[in-house]
Amino acid sequence: MRSIKRNLVLIVTILVCFISGLIYLTYKIYRDSSFYMIHSENAVLGKVYDRKENVLFDQKATPDTYGADHFTDVASLIGNNDKQMTNTLVSNNLELLNNYSFSQGIHSADGQSAVYTTLDHEANQKVYQAFGNKNGTAIAYNYVTGEILVCVSKPGLNPFNGYTDLEEGSLLCKAFYKFTPGSTQKISTLAAARASLGEDLLNSMSFSCSGTYLNRGGQTIYCHNLSGHGEENISSAFANSCNVFFAQLVEDDRFNLNDIINSYKKMGYSVNKSDPYVMEINGISVQTASTTLTDKYDFSTQWGCIGQGETMVSPCMLMTWQSAIASETGKSVLPYLISYSTRVDGSKENFAEKSMSREFFDAPTAAYVKNIMIQNGQRYTDTIPGFTLGIKSGTAQVKNGDEENSLLTGFDTNPDHPIAFCVLIEDRHDGDIKTDSIVNTILTSLD
Amino acid sequence: MGKEKTKLNYFFVKLVIVITHTVLLGNIYLNGNLTDYTEAIKLTVLVLGSDLIYFSVIHLFAQDVYTLDLILVLILNISLIFQSSFGGIDFNLKHFITTAAAFISCQVGFLLTRNNFKAEQRQKYYYAGICVLMVVIILFTGSRSMWINFGGFSLQPSEFIKPLFVFACATSLYKQQNKKKLGFLYVTPNNIAMIAMTAAILGLQWWCRDLGSIPTFGAVFGCAVVNRLCYPRAKFSKKKIAALICMVLVFAFAAIKLAPGYVKDRLYVDIWADQYGNGYQQCRALIAIAEGGWFGKGPGSGSLCNVAAYDTDIVFSSVSEEWGMLAAILFVLLILLMLLMPVINPPRCYYHGTIAAGVTAVFVVQMSLNIFGSCNLIPFTGVTLPFLSNGGSSMVTSGFLLGMLKATQSPKFVRNIVVRQPANASERRKVN
Repeated sequence: MRSIKRNLVLIVTILVCFISGLIYLTYKIYRDSSFYMIHSENAVLGKVYDRKENVLFDQKATPDTYGADHFTDVASLIGNNDKQMTNTLVSNNLELLNNYSFSQGIHSADGQSAVYTTLDHEANQKVYQAFGNKNGTAIAYNYVTGEILVCVSKPGLNPFNGYTDLEEGSLLCKAFYKFTPGSTQKISTLAAARASLGEDLLNSMSFSCSGTYLNRGGQTIYCHNLSGHGEENISSAFANSCNVFFAQLVEDDRFNLNDIINSYKKMGYSVNKSDPYVMEINGISVQTASTTLTDKYDFSTQWGCIGQGETMVSPCMLMTWQSAIASETGKSVLPYLISYSTRVDGSKENFAEKSMSREFFDAPTAAYVKNIMIQNGQRYTDTIPGFTLGIKSGTAQVKNGDEENSLLTGFDTNPDHPIAFCVLIEDRHDGDIKTDSIVNTILTSLD
Repeated sequence: MGKEKTKLNYFFVKLVIVITHTVLLGNIYLNGNLTDYTEAIKLTVLVLGSDLIYFSVIHLFAQDVYTLDLILVLILNISLIFQSSFGGIDFNLKHFITTAAAFISCQVGFLLTRNNFKAEQRQKYYYAGICVLMVVIILFTGSRSMWINFGGFSLQPSEFIKPLFVFACATSLYKQQNKKKLGFLYVTPNNIAMIAMTAAILGLQWWCRDLGSIPTFGAVFGCAVVNRLCYPRAKFSKKKIAALICMVLVFAFAAIKLAPGYVKDRLYVDIWADQYGNGYQQCRALIAIAEGGWFGKGPGSGSLCNVAAYDTDIVFSSVSEEWGMLAAILFVLLILLMLLMPVINPPRCYYHGTIAAGVTAVFVVQMSLNIFGSCNLIPFTGVTLPFLSNGGSSMVTSGFLLGMLKATQSPKFVRNIVVRQPANASERRKVN
C-alpha cells in the first residue's frame, strides 16, 4: 500500500504545481489586465484636466464640445491614443486613463478614470497665441514645486483635422528635444569655469574682443559684434554674450579641458558620446544635452563651448538647470506634469511628489552663476517689466547658417513667483516676435 | 439502506448537473448575443436531452462509484454550451458529436482497464499499437506533420498514442522488478522497452515538429521513471530525484539549443513588442480575458472568434471573454476535481496507481501548455485543452484517458484462472 501511496503523492504534487500556476496566472491577469486592455480597440480612456479642471484631452470630444481649436496648443504634449504620437502624456499613461476594472471587464467604460495635470491651460493658450506666426517652443515651471505650468510647441496640432498635410514638427513637443543652444550655452561654460578656476581667478581674468579671434589652431572665431567689445571681464562678456572672450577663456592654459568635460558631464551632458543624464516627465522621454569636446585649441571645441557646432541642449533641460541656479543649491527640482489621477471608481491616487535631481553644479558655483544672470537680467526691465529675473539669451545658427533660432532662458527671483522658463523661436529674422515678449506673456499669465 | 442513500445522493448530483446546465442556457437567453432562437432551442433540447441519456447509459456499466461519470457529463455539456456560443449563438453539431464520442470512448477505456491483470497482459499490444500509429504517421501524414486529412475531416493519430503510452508506462510491482540476465548485466525488460519506446516517440515528435506534445509524453515517462526509481525503499530517494532533475535540465537545455528557429523565437518573444507577429494570438487572448473580466461580456458577444485557433489553442481565453474568467477557472477546477478522485478514493492496486499518475500527468501538462501558453506564462505551443477544445481526436483521447482513470475507482480483480488437468489416475480419483 505504501507503493500506491507514493503514486498518490506524485499525483498530488502534479496537481499542486498546476494549481499554484493557476493561482499565479489569475493574480497576474488581475494585476496586468488594465495593461492588456489599453491594447484593445475597445479601450475607453478618461479625460485629462489642467490645474483648473479645464479639459485637455477627451476621447469622445467633437469640435463642438469645447471648440475647434481648444486642444491645438496642447495636443502635441498631451497627445491621444491614435498611436501617431508616442512621446506624449496620454500615450505614456494609458493605464492611468484606462476606464477599466477587471471586476466589470469591458462594462466599466463609464468609469471616472482621469489624469489631473499641473498645466495652466489658459496661460498656455496665451503663450501659444503670443508666438503669432512663428514656430518654436516655450516651457515654464515652478522651480520650487516642480509643476510644469506652460508647455507650448509650434506648429501646433488640431486633433480634429486628422494627420494629413501636417506641418513638420507638429506631432512632437519640441521642448523635449535637443536644439543648438547658441549663447545660452555660456551658462554651462561659465559654471564650468567657476568650478574649475574659482571665483577670484575667474573674476580677475580679462580678454580683449576685436570682433574676431584667431585661435591657436589658426582658425577664426567670430563675435556677433564684428566691431568688437573691447576689454571684458567675465560679467561683461556674459552680458555681451561675447564669443571671442569665451573662446579665449576655453583656450586659456589655466582652464583644463578635462575640467570642462567633467563639469559638463556633471550637468548632464553626453560628452564625446558618454551616457547622458536621463530625464523623464511622467513617462515622456526628454532629451537632455550633448556635445563633443576633443581639443581645447581647436575651433570645434571652442565653438561647442560657445553653443554652436555639435552642442545640443533641449529647452526642458535648460529650464531645469535654472532651478539649480535659482535655488543656489546646484540641484534642480525635477519637473512633472501629473498632479494626481483618479481610478475608475473616482478615488484619487498617484499624487505627485517633489523630487530632486543629482547635483548639476556645486552650490557656490550655482550662487555665482545666479548672480551673473541676475545682473544680465537687468537689461530686460523694459521688455519684461515688473520682474527681477536672471536671464541668458542665445542665438543659434541652424541649417548651415541659413536660419537663426532665438533662445531665452532664466528664472524669476521672486520667492512668491518662482518660475523658471525657456523660450525658443525658430527662424527669428522672419517676423517681429521676440523671445522676451513671449517670456513676458508667460510670467504675466502665471502671475 | 446504504444503497438507497447512494441513489439519493446521485439523484441530487444529477439534479445539480441539470440545474447548472439550465443556468448556463438561461444565461444565453438572458444575456446572450441571440439572433436566432432556433439555435438556442436546439442547444437547450440537446443539452438537457443528452444529460438524461448519459445518466441512463452510465448505469449500464456496473461500477462502485459514478462520480467521474457524472462530472464528465457535467463537463461535456458545459463544453458544448461554450463551443456553441463563440462569436454568436450557433449550435455546434460537430462538437456535440465529439462530446458523445468522448463519452463512449470513456466507457471503452473503462472496460479495457478495469481488470488490471488483463490490462497488463495486453502490454505487448500497446507497444504494437504505438508502433502501428507511428508508422501511420510517417506514411500517411504530410511531410513533417501530425495530421491525416480526408474529406472535411482531419485526424491526429499522435493523440491516440497518448493512452497507449500511459498503458505502456503502467506497470505492476512484479514486472518493474523482474530482472533478467543479459550478458553480464541484470536488466529489467519492462524498463528497457519503456525507455526505447519513449525515445522513439519523442524522436518522431521532434521530426514531425509537433514539439507541443513532447512535454506530455515526457511527463508520463517522468512519472513512470519516478515510480521505478523510488521503489523498493517506499520513499523517494533524494539522490535519485536530484539525478533525475539534473537529467531533465540537461535534456531541456539541449532541446532549447537544438530547437528550430521558430521555436526559439517563441521562447524569447516579447509579445507586446511583436503584437502582429509571433505574439499575435497571445496578445489577443490576454486582451480578450481583460475585456471579459470576472463575469464575461455575455455569451456570443466575444470577438476572439476572429483569431485563429480561438476554439482550440486559445479556448480558455474565448471562454473567459464571453463567460468570464471565473467560469473558465471553474471549468478547469472541474477537470482537476476528476483528477483528484484517485486521492479521495485511492486505487487498490499498484498497476492502477501508475495508470492514475500517467493520466494525471497527461491532463495536467496539456492544460498547463494550453492555458499558461496562451496567457504567455510559458512559450505558446498550441495544444488542446482537454474536454473544452474543439477537435475529435483530442476529445476521444481525453474521454478514453478518463475511462482509464475511472477504472481505478471501480476495479475488477478477477484473475485468468488456469485450470490444471490432474496429471495421473490417482490424482483424478482424488478429484472425483
